[in-house]
Amino acid sequence: MKRLFRTCLLASAMAAGLGLSTLGLSTAAGAAEGPSNDDLLNDAKSTGDVLTYGMGLQAQRFSPLDKLTPDTVKGLIPVWSFSFGGEKQRGQEAQPIVHDGTIYVTGSYSRLYAVDAKTGQKKWQYDHRLPEGIMPCCDVVNRGAAIYKDKVYFATLDARLVALNKDTGKVVWSKKIADYQAGFSATAAPLIVDGKIITGNSGGEFGVVGAVEARDAETGELIWTRPTVEGNMGTLNGKESTMTGKLNASWSGDLYKTGGGATWLGGTYDPETKMLFFGTGNPAPWNSHLRPGDNLYTSSTLAIDPANGEIKWHYQTTPHDGWDFDGVNELVSFDLKKDGQVIKAGAKADRNGFFYVLDRTNGKLINASPFVTKITWAKEIDLKTGRPVYVDENRPGAPEAAEKGKSVFAAPAFLGAKNWMPMAYSPATDLFYVPANEWGMDIWNEPITYKKGAAYLGAGFTIKPLYNDYIGALRAIDPKTGKIVWEYKNPAPLWGGVLTTAGNLVFTGTPEGYLKAFDAKSGKEVWHFNTGSGVVGSPVTWEQDGEQYVAVVSGWGGAVPLWGGDVAKLVKDINQGGSLWVFKLPKA
Amino acid sequence: MTDLTRRQLLSFSAAALAAGAIPRRAGARPLDDVTAAGRLRVAVYRDNPPFSFHRDGTLVGVDVDLARTIAERLGVGIEYMELTAGETVADDLRNAVWKGHYLGGGVADIMMHVPYEKEFGLRNPEAVLFAPYQREHFALARNPMRMTQPMLAALPDEPVGVEIDSIPDFFLLGAFGGRLRDRVVHYMTIPLAVAALEKGEVAAVVATQSQVEAALGERVKNFPVTPVTFPGMMTSSWDIGLAVKDNSRDLAYAVGDIVAALLEDGTVAGVFGKYGVTHNAIPTE
Repeated sequence: MKRLFRTCLLASAMAAGLGLSTLGLSTAAGAAEGPSNDDLLNDAKSTGDVLTYGMGLQAQRFSPLDKLTPDTVKGLIPVWSFSFGGEKQRGQEAQPIVHDGTIYVTGSYSRLYAVDAKTGQKKWQYDHRLPEGIMPCCDVVNRGAAIYKDKVYFATLDARLVALNKDTGKVVWSKKIADYQAGFSATAAPLIVDGKIITGNSGGEFGVVGAVEARDAETGELIWTRPTVEGNMGTLNGKESTMTGKLNASWSGDLYKTGGGATWLGGTYDPETKMLFFGTGNPAPWNSHLRPGDNLYTSSTLAIDPANGEIKWHYQTTPHDGWDFDGVNELVSFDLKKDGQVIKAGAKADRNGFFYVLDRTNGKLINASPFVTKITWAKEIDLKTGRPVYVDENRPGAPEAAEKGKSVFAAPAFLGAKNWMPMAYSPATDLFYVPANEWGMDIWNEPITYKKGAAYLGAGFTIKPLYNDYIGALRAIDPKTGKIVWEYKNPAPLWGGVLTTAGNLVFTGTPEGYLKAFDAKSGKEVWHFNTGSGVVGSPVTWEQDGEQYVAVVSGWGGAVPLWGGDVAKLVKDINQGGSLWVFKLPKA
Repeated sequence: MTDLTRRQLLSFSAAALAAGAIPRRAGARPLDDVTAAGRLRVAVYRDNPPFSFHRDGTLVGVDVDLARTIAERLGVGIEYMELTAGETVADDLRNAVWKGHYLGGGVADIMMHVPYEKEFGLRNPEAVLFAPYQREHFALARNPMRMTQPMLAALPDEPVGVEIDSIPDFFLLGAFGGRLRDRVVHYMTIPLAVAALEKGEVAAVVATQSQVEAALGERVKNFPVTPVTFPGMMTSSWDIGLAVKDNSRDLAYAVGDIVAALLEDGTVAGVFGKYGVTHNAIPTE
């Protein structure tokens, strides 16, 4: 039955003129054993499955499928919907994985489901038992699973990595990746490269240093660790390897030991340059006046060798971050066709409001342009030095020095011009599709505040929309020029991932409940469907029995209702949910 | 395991399950409900020595003992809810007494160790702050051989230990134009900082007086403790009390009367003394 199904897929792929690679064949033969490393490497091209977070390790979120087009998409209809169940719902930020007729999807509260892709029938469900005392910062979300050979993997809110048999849902191994009692958590989808499962870390109110870690996917044994903050020592095969950066080069005293830089959004991989790209979080403590220097490698992108965890290059988007911008956003590898040349480039839409195009072989800046309308912290990014030209007077002041009661307005807000939600790149249109938000924040010094029973001078923040009619904006950006080619404005903030297809379509969800499709060239909205709760997950598409399918999770939540200030009030009437919706374009 | 079962395990203590009781978790219960249930549920901070912490697997501390005494005087049993500290105490009040954490676990009837201050109370109208039982301030513990004067401005060129992400941490990193920044050594807890002081890794430790006294214990005679102020950083002393949800004023009155009696008869001072901490009574205004 499985073999027949596969044969159909391959036949249709051939019919679609996509070519038949040997990699595709190995998928067909290896259905029972699950996807091989070659299958993962080929995921961006294979159309019958979705094996990786990002729909390809480079995370372009582009599908070569073209049955759905701006013309045919009106025929896209729901096939089934699967409820995550339980009495607790909250944010559903996952991207489904599709393999061999099964959809693997994660839900809030560290749950993982295997569902029959044709019927929506549940095959198994794994509910991770969460201990008391976990403190995830930003809702109980999970962004997706990974699949390799006979196992599926996901990270849990109590900072564990769990490997389950893909057919039975039975736990094969479960490893602690960080201490939840110290405030760590894990929500990102794992990345699997050359048999290694590679993860970042997240959470940790204090005392945390970000790290990227590689484990043997078979056993879960640790292979290497790479701290993200200068002065900390990496490990390889249980021994100290090399120090990250140089001790005290960009940090005072012993602050590097607790310098932040969490890698909470995971990473991407480029098979061409054989580099991992991981974004790093903001430095600690929050008050930048207490930690002079660039604070490397926080709020940066790091290129890492998957074999040993060595850093190949770094690019810091916000040196000496004083706004809680983070630099965790994904670097998407792509071919930049410019002046008759093809450059191996990478693009990153940073929380700080700039869209960066880098040479991904060496981390050198090619271009940087704003992708939101208002940026108060920097005038521009100097293309020669690669550094921001700060607006010094707009840096939040030191609480003890600042005028009492003075409020400063800063944009973007700390939730970022783009938060976690992944963008997409289409090699068909040569455009990036970036889910952005137009908001700023008031920052003021509170006369007195308290933490764990002790008094101090703190800073208060509240997020404010910049415009009355919209916050979210899906923007098509030309990476050659940084110009915005089209935009779609959404009343509520956008918080879901983007998908684009060779059929000239762009899909994304909205908190209002819609999954929407747009013409990739013009931005015209060509289809929408209301899923019943906010869509803050990442849609995927694949082909099954000769028909093109689309799937997305529905369930409002995430950081906006928790941290959104005035914006949280705007979206407070959106009902929660928890379901997987599957659509298809039926055969004519 | 179904979600329902998991939630029950998260929410209910083993004792409650053993007793076969299915307690109501909808909200903080006023006095009658506490009496009817025969149990007072009290929120205390997780890992907050000397106020609430685990010693050999048992929850102990000043706040833990005081809460037990309060429950005894009310004539009910006690159940502790350990609370992981959030960004600010405003978050903790929401999680502990008036709404509950979004992960579940419900709320407590009262919360210990809440700053008692008018302005702070006005900013948190969902909770009632009452019964202050300790005046807190910051203090410096020093090695008198290496640091002859107990004054921050006169800190010699020696390393000084703090608890990471604490107020003394922020103060010392920024104070005097950052002059001390390279000499601030961060520890996860004050007991670790005090151990470093004894070993000679640092010449002084700055923390709240309660933290540093409790961590020093008998060693206080070798490492004198002196109150310090942080110039430019607001008041250096504040009061600690209790909180309930705003619908539970009758419970606050009853517990407030008990705390007043415990302060009066020296019980509170005795509990502080048991953990090696000086009880600083709050002067009546």
